[in-house]
Amino acid sequence: MDPLELCYLSAGDLSRLIKTREVSPVEVVDAHLERISNTDGVLNSFITLLPEQARTAARRAENEIQGGNYRGPLHGVPVGLKDLFNTAGVRTTSGSRIFDSFVPDQDCTVAARFLQAGAILLGKLNMHPFAYGPTGENEDYGHMHNPWNPELITGGSSGGSGSATAAGQCTITMGSDTGGSVRIPAALCGIVGLKPTYGLVSRHGLTPLSWSLDHPGPMVRSVEDAALALNAIAGHDPNDVASAQVSVPDYTSALTGDVQGLRIGIPREYLQAPLDPEVSQAFQQAIGVLEEMGATVTEVDFPMFQHAQAISGAILMAEASAYHRELLAANADRLYPPVRLRLEAGLFITSADYLKAQQARSLFNREVRQLLEEVDLLAGPTEPVTAPRILASEVQAGEQIIGTTAALTQFTRPYNITGSPAISVPCGFSEAGLPIGLQLAGKPFDEITVLRAAHAYEQATDWHRRRPQI
Amino acid sequence: MSTKNPLTREAFIYLAGQAGLDTSDPHLEELFPYVQSVLASIESLQEIDVAGTEPDMAFIPLPQLPPLPQQSSTEQH
Repeated sequence: MDPLELCYLSAGDLSRLIKTREVSPVEVVDAHLERISNTDGVLNSFITLLPEQARTAARRAENEIQGGNYRGPLHGVPVGLKDLFNTAGVRTTSGSRIFDSFVPDQDCTVAARFLQAGAILLGKLNMHPFAYGPTGENEDYGHMHNPWNPELITGGSSGGSGSATAAGQCTITMGSDTGGSVRIPAALCGIVGLKPTYGLVSRHGLTPLSWSLDHPGPMVRSVEDAALALNAIAGHDPNDVASAQVSVPDYTSALTGDVQGLRIGIPREYLQAPLDPEVSQAFQQAIGVLEEMGATVTEVDFPMFQHAQAISGAILMAEASAYHRELLAANADRLYPPVRLRLEAGLFITSADYLKAQQARSLFNREVRQLLEEVDLLAGPTEPVTAPRILASEVQAGEQIIGTTAALTQFTRPYNITGSPAISVPCGFSEAGLPIGLQLAGKPFDEITVLRAAHAYEQATDWHRRRPQI
Repeated sequence: MSTKNPLTREAFIYLAGQAGLDTSDPHLEELFPYVQSVLASIESLQEIDVAGTEPDMAFIPLPQLPPLPQQSSTEQH
């Protein structure tokens, strides 16, 4: 098979070929390493590439499969991890030169579960330093570049995961999402990003940004792959104090293609927020598709939405500054300046402000719970704009000019506050050829409904089949 | 630190020292307006009536949603 085609196969399709030995994991890994070699000079997706380790793992997978020891759908599938997932014997920088030579001696739970499933780690992916920013900018290891236009941001903080997946450098990548850092780059790079329910996927062995808002999640090119990845990594982990003791279904059972009778709510507040007209149009068309397929769509009121930035901001900044306080004291001059500013500013959030934000979070969660008793899913655009230019401090969203960080996180932060599952799937392209994402959010631990609707929409459209010309 | 009264420079310098920052660092010239903007961005928290609401300190969402509690006018404020 043509190496480029191998790189753009979904994990589902790739696994079927690997299982039947039509394709070897060695061939798959070689194709991806070649793809990375041809594209990463432009994209800068990787901080650490592991070619020899990956080839060794591929040969081992090939031998296991030939010996009849097929482990399952991720066996031989190439993955990449955002560089804040600890990996035994492989440096984990958190996107900062301060940790350039930090080599963990243990895998994080997510890495261990991927390796147990037979996945092959290609490398560690570039990211906004310490995951503290939604753009994918990084002066230490170089900015990440959007495969659809390298002058534009990938979105962040999991920017390398977004570009690597969109450009066919990896089949599955992992990001972490504190205010949107899986869904933002997914939307801006034209891929699928799933933020699972808080507590469903272990945070053990990840560098925290904000303990109560951090969610690890898969970034992939199809909803089926999100389900396959979630099957491998979801489930209780005694090493994570926030890990939930819930039963884990087979998430591929959600892939029915059917949304008949599903109730979808669109918060009116989303449509009144700053929004690019092309994004608005693509979103409305996407909702039209779901409606034609049998979903019931209604507008709902979400008044607490106006407070999402304040609630999330106060909690995130206080928790991030608490976690990184020693780092800030010892290494302030070596931090990426915008990250340094945020960490220092977080020291000025008082305990009273933090607890007020947590009180407000209770009310916010109550309101979202009430909404999700009226409807099964909440829908909106993932992003109000398409990818901005690298280092742009402001963006134009409709008639308004707003700060880039506020714009990129305005629709994603609410579901970090609530911990509910939320997914971004491609739902269109701008006239400039830039991807647009549709966000669907559901009830806690009801990933099945989120995946079901996202998959049905994906199957009815072909946005996810487009490839960037790189 | 959120307040309708903007953070003064004097208060900022005092709090920066209390937070362990070097108050002689010229970088504080850049930090001061940034902190002002951050505090302004969380100002809307003060508009939310949280009376009778405890901070949610167990963040794992409940898989099975219990009936929503009725808002009571007798809740202590």
